[in-house]
Amino acid sequence: MTTRNPSTSTPLRIVWVAISLAFVVLSVRVAFSATPKIVTDFSNAIALSLAFGGLVLLTHYLGLLSLGQGALVGVGAYAALHAVNDFGAPVVWMPLAGLLAGTLVGAIVAIPSLRLPKAYLALLTLSLAVAYPIILKQVDGNLPVLLHGEFVAPSWTGIAENDEHIWELFLVAIYASAALFLVQGLLRGPIGRAFIASRDEPEAARAFGVPVYRLRLYGVALSGGMAGLAGGLLMIPTNFNDFTHYPEELSIKMFALAIAFGGSRLISSVPAALILIFLPVWLIDRNWVVEYGWVGLFKSEGFIYAALLLATAYLTRGKGFMHLFERRKHRNLETAVTTNRGASLVADQLMALENQLNRIEGFVGEQPDISSRQEPTD
Amino acid sequence: MSLFLQRTFDSLANGSAYAALAVAISMVFRSTGVLNLAQGQLAMFSTYIALVFATGPSPYLKFSSNTDVLGAAWPIWAAILGAVVISMVIGAFTERVIIRPISADPVAAVGATLGLYLLLGAFVRKQWGGRTMFLGSPFPQTVDDRWDIGGARLWHDTVGITLTMIGVLGLLAVLQRRTKVGLAFRAVTSNRTGSLMVGIRVSRVLMLGWALAAGIGALAGGLIAGEINVRPDMMGRLLIFGLAAATLGGLRSPVLAFVGGYLFAFLETMLGGYVSFIDSQVTLVWALLVLIIVLFVRPSGLLPRSEAWQQR
Repeated sequence: MTTRNPSTSTPLRIVWVAISLAFVVLSVRVAFSATPKIVTDFSNAIALSLAFGGLVLLTHYLGLLSLGQGALVGVGAYAALHAVNDFGAPVVWMPLAGLLAGTLVGAIVAIPSLRLPKAYLALLTLSLAVAYPIILKQVDGNLPVLLHGEFVAPSWTGIAENDEHIWELFLVAIYASAALFLVQGLLRGPIGRAFIASRDEPEAARAFGVPVYRLRLYGVALSGGMAGLAGGLLMIPTNFNDFTHYPEELSIKMFALAIAFGGSRLISSVPAALILIFLPVWLIDRNWVVEYGWVGLFKSEGFIYAALLLATAYLTRGKGFMHLFERRKHRNLETAVTTNRGASLVADQLMALENQLNRIEGFVGEQPDISSRQEPTD
Repeated sequence: MSLFLQRTFDSLANGSAYAALAVAISMVFRSTGVLNLAQGQLAMFSTYIALVFATGPSPYLKFSSNTDVLGAAWPIWAAILGAVVISMVIGAFTERVIIRPISADPVAAVGATLGLYLLLGAFVRKQWGGRTMFLGSPFPQTVDDRWDIGGARLWHDTVGITLTMIGVLGLLAVLQRRTKVGLAFRAVTSNRTGSLMVGIRVSRVLMLGWALAAGIGALAGGLIAGEINVRPDMMGRLLIFGLAAATLGGLRSPVLAFVGGYLFAFLETMLGGYVSFIDSQVTLVWALLVLIIVLFVRPSGLLPRSEAWQQR
């Protein structure tokens, strides 16, 4: 639990910074050179990476299962859209309404289910995933609801008026990267360690004063908030909301991708979001969706996701492929330490000395206790 | 009064399907601790198998055309029974090959059941398409096949489905209470390590549990198909009601899950019938709401608190 994350070493940090910079450069390049459709898809993927981040937090940090993340994205989208349409909120701030709504719904689902075995959270969230499109259809009707607002880029950006999709991408990216940065910072600190403790050894964590139930509740609410914020951000490039956007399959696919790609870093949610958005586009481009029979099955989205889930379950025991990579890094670190025999010898001697000191301290520390116990009998 | 009676009768067929799925889910969860989210899809898949058997050689239905093995169309009863047998084999295979190697890790196990959920859905859509098909009922279904009781119509079909499900679940209870296999099953669900130590073949018992659960789901799917028709998403709604009903039994009591199935079906029909702003689609949302309230007020479901505490 207290082991230092090996990926925080300087060379790896440089690699991560380089990857992040490359991603930013790629994003800017895509924004200015790709077609509006691709830019919009890219914005959607960045927004959804936040929802995946929430799922990674739940599955990999808390060991909880949520099958309703897609529905929570929908809740956020609904709240953001109606904050603008019904309450006149500024469009730039509307994702915050999604954040609030997602957090609230997440907490409402979590409060009863977290008192019970973990399966109940999965059960309730799956029910939410099935029920949400029905609720949205009932509330908003069959037709899409348009956002009453538009995103005009400020003049200093140099973005033309009819290129609003570029500005929308930047807005989404700013929101998403800020949120991911904040949550990742939270997870690196004592709260993240308490999450992991409550996942691995809940009884021991309780014994050390960690409020496990409350911590899990905060975790689920935070995850819901991230999904809600993602929903609010989706409204920026999409500009309309519709019940068909959030079928139960969305939540299940999100779960599949989150457990396949999740790891100890929230940034691993980005490839998951890119696959969720661009896989169907790729399948349609190749005309595979219209194929039937066995060939059609192997080329279908359902089969690909099923294979991914089963492969994750078997090969990584549900911990995700990023976890395999992280475990190898741990092993490498251990090997590096043991091969340096001189250093390990010194370390062993220091450990032995520390143990001896501890024993002496314990012996000295026990003396007052013995006398205090003896006092009443005397 | 007659309207109330009519709605009560109407809820019986759906209640049987919910109860069957709830019992199947409870059985699997109780014995293995795995929430089988593919239970509904397994039932849907076996309903398509029953459709293939019942249709006979047909150019419109894959695996039924040009097959000498199937021969002519089977009677619906035989088709459903055939599907139940195949489904039991699939259930046992699922436990042995998919779940057992990873059952120690709940995330992996739930992930695997979801993988199966997606796989079966994709298979059915790609092999048989997404259009609605008609299987028919094994019971008489004409306009005259009914009893008039207190001004309400009780269809033979409804009574047949309800009695069949009650009979099968009663047999299951007898199997569990009066046979050595049932004793072994109860021992495994109560204490797996202890069962291993006294020589019970736990893995075989668990496999049997999965097979029975799959068979019950298949029977429910085959029987209810005459009411709701056969489509790839036919079990989504039923699964949610089944899960809700299983929750009433704390996911561990098949008897309370059975009662919960009928209770939810009754609630669904009455809410849809008497509350003007609730249509048949929205009843699902109310069921979810009831489920949340139940979990708030009584987290262990309808199980006695002492028993629920022991099972934690």
